[in-house]
Amino acid sequence: MDEQEVEIEITAQGKVVIRTKGIKGPQCLDVAQLFAQIIGKEESRELTGEYYEASQVLQRNIQSHRHRTG
Amino acid sequence: MSTVLIVAPIVVASWPVITAAVTAAIGTLGFTLARAELNASVSQQSQTKTSNREVIEVEESEILAGATGVAQQLVVERDGVRATFSRDARGALKLCVEGSHLSKSQLRAVGEELIGAVTQQYAYHRIMTELKERNLTVVDEEMTTERSVKIRVRNF
Repeated sequence: MDEQEVEIEITAQGKVVIRTKGIKGPQCLDVAQLFAQIIGKEESRELTGEYYEASQVLQRNIQSHRHRTG
Repeated sequence: MSTVLIVAPIVVASWPVITAAVTAAIGTLGFTLARAELNASVSQQSQTKTSNREVIEVEESEILAGATGVAQQLVVERDGVRATFSRDARGALKLCVEGSHLSKSQLRAVGEELIGAVTQQYAYHRIMTELKERNLTVVDEEMTTERSVKIRVRNF
């Protein structure tokens, strides 16, 4: 299991980039926003693989269950 | 990686905190401290000389009002360029960059580089203070070749 981690990068231009790693599902956004609120104002966001991974697993499980039960 | 947020820091600080951020930032850019001014008289004198001037206001900023008589102006210099940090009438951080041998656009570029470095120092201090107060574990810190600072955090 991946270690849950947040990486905070403060650029030379004074911007802050917050990246979550190993946190699956919408919780990763909650964690990132927690840090963002400490720092300032969110300018943009990108939701990638792991954000959707938990919901995809749940959807597959639901489909598999329906198939088995008819 | 699951989420990436880009955040613009909001600088809310007292003048001593700003001074500390400026002092930490200028070394990497080759600037040196001139002197803190109690009033704007010296800055006004420099305006009568033939020199270009650019003013940059940091919109997302608030410098807390200090005690009367405490200097709220900081001057740094490099290669004939003079940059003055001050608190404007609205309480925001302002930077005035002057130099006789640089164009306005060049002065603006110097000013934006300075503002970026000061903001970086302020944000770093703010983040590290909050991480410590919340008992979060900083597992690693590094300075990249692009002069970014990366902090890795666990146990949140």
